[in-house]
This record gives sequence, structure tokens and C-alpha cells, in this order.
Amino acid sequence: MPRMPKRVKFRKEFRRARDRKATKGNFVAYGDYGLQSLEQVWLTARQIEAGRIAAQHFLRRDGKIYIRVFPDKPVSKKPLETRMGKGKAEVDYWAARVKPGTMLYEISGVTEDRARRAMVRVAMKMPVRCRFVGRRVAI
Amino acid sequence: MATETHVLRSTKRDRLGTRYARRVREAGGLPGVVYGHGQAPVHVAIEAKDALLHINAGEKVFSLKMDSDADETVLLKDVQFDYLGTNIIHVDLARVDLNEMVEVQAHVRLVGESDAMKEAGAILLHPTNSIEIRCRVTDIPEHIELDISELEIGHSLHASDLKLPSGFELASDPDDVLANIVIKQEVEEPAEGAEVVGEGEGPEVITEKKDESDSEGEKKE
Repeated sequence: MPRMPKRVKFRKEFRRARDRKATKGNFVAYGDYGLQSLEQVWLTARQIEAGRIAAQHFLRRDGKIYIRVFPDKPVSKKPLETRMGKGKAEVDYWAARVKPGTMLYEISGVTEDRARRAMVRVAMKMPVRCRFVGRRVAI
Repeated sequence: MATETHVLRSTKRDRLGTRYARRVREAGGLPGVVYGHGQAPVHVAIEAKDALLHINAGEKVFSLKMDSDADETVLLKDVQFDYLGTNIIHVDLARVDLNEMVEVQAHVRLVGESDAMKEAGAILLHPTNSIEIRCRVTDIPEHIELDISELEIGHSLHASDLKLPSGFELASDPDDVLANIVIKQEVEEPAEGAEVVGEGEGPEVITEKKDESDSEGEKKE
């Protein structure tokens, strides 16, 4: 089932600016390997779930998957063949704001080769270009 | 730790800010700041090629040659990465004496193999891969090893379990979990803050409740 917030302050929100790069959540923090977005996108809750299932099916009982993005942005859409106006439409889906550099998923407890294969499958479900990255060594 | 300190050539930066820092990088420099020992901070442009080679090799102590000034021994305090976390875009350097005690981040390397990992569904997690230690500048280690061969399922190894060499002190929280082994459950619960909701159902709107109470109050009046 797609994820969404339990509680929100407002039912709908503005679209807001998209031309930013990730300044936080842009490195592997919990797992050993991660999948990093190279482009900006509103990642829908269904896409996030599809990626999780793809990784889970490949890894079966091995490893632990961390989902680093949460769909907390309501996106509204007017019904088909509706005239403009009459106020903002109802919420159609929930999305996570993904900026270039945002870490989408992380995996721990598996070998690099296995993690890479799992992430390739996840990347196929993503609407953006992604890359596989490892955890940074402390400098 | 390497016995010799590498020399980094640098020049002072007069013009500061994003735009000028970007120009420094385009000209083959690495923007940085040198501070400490009660002296005023100095903004520098270090030769990037040499600096990045040594920093990526894990070196932390350098001899900084600045214009015509005498060499200064500096410790790599902090590093800033670009938005993809690949390229180093700025460094913080602290003035140090070679016999001074300093606090540095040390990488924790897990060694050994635990028998618990042979269990079906066992996963080794290491939430933190670095700890903060206090030691002399000349003794800064490349990494600290943590033996996990005795680790059992459901147990954790904490920062306090590290066997540090003499002269080393632990500066980070002793309760920091460095490694633990867990058995993966068949069905994963959704992440915190998430709720599985059927289609058509939406989240609770906090402000709507307030509106209702306000309207009730108005009616009473």
C-alpha cells in the first residue's frame, strides 16, 4: 500500500520551487550502500513502494532496506473534461520531493555485488537517473 | 599514521563567498580556512591536485605553506562535499602542535567473523562507522579495528567496547552502537510516521478540527 502522512496541517499545498540541489539526506547514513537520485522529481508513493518491493523480492530474507524519502507532499489534479477555476482540485497522490543528490534507498547486511544488483532493479522503477553509492569513510 | 607530513602550497584569499570560491575551484584551487591557537582565521586557496590526493588517502596532518609565510602544521578538521557527496569543495584546517592532544574522527573497521552470521536471516548492522577520539597529533590512526567474532544475535557492540591503544581517549558517547546482529523478520513493518491507509482515505487534517470547534463556539454565542 502506498504510504502517506498520518496527520497534516493543511489538506493541500502550493507546488513550490524545484530548482535546488540536495544539501541534506545526500549521503549513505544508515546502510552500507545506497541509491542516489541524480535528477529532480516528485517521487510518488506508488513509485517508492514499487522500488521497495523490487528490492525486497530480489533480496528475499537477506539484508535490510532503508527508505530515505517519505511522500509528504499532496499533489492535486483536476478531473478530466473539467473547466478551469472553481478552486483547487482534490488531492490525487502523495509525493516525496527529490532533489539531485537525494538518497532514495539504502541497503545493509549484504555484499556489494548483491546490493548493486538489488539497486539496479530499484533504479528501473525510478522515474529519474540514479547511481549506486557506498558509505563514506570518515575523514 | 604516516610519519611525515606533506606540504600543501596555498595562497591567501581576499575575496570570499560562493562566487569567488567557485572561481578558485575552476582555477585548480581548493578553498579552505585556517584557524586556531588564538589567531585570526585566514582564508586560503590550496593547490587542489595535491591536497585531494592526500585527503582522499586518509591523511589528516599537513604542513601548510602560505605565500611567503613560514610553514604551519595543520589538522584537517572538516570537509565539505558537493551535493552528490563526491567532490570535496572546502576544507577546514586547524593550527596544531605535533604534541598537542586533539579530537578527531576515526573510522571504525569491523574485523573477524561471527558465528551468529551463519544463522538464517542474520544481518550485521553498523549504524555508526566512525567515532571521535582524543589523541596526540602524531598518533592519529588511519582506522580503529573492532573485533566482532564474539558478537551474538540480539547483542550490540558499543563505543565503550573498543580497545583503544594507550594514550587514546574516547570522546564520543560510550553508548554509541557500532555493530549489532539482528534476525530479519519475514514481514517488515512500515517505517515510522507511515500509515497504511486504504484508497480514498486521507490523512487527518489538524486545522480542520480547530475550524469545527471555532464554528461551534460561534453558534453558542
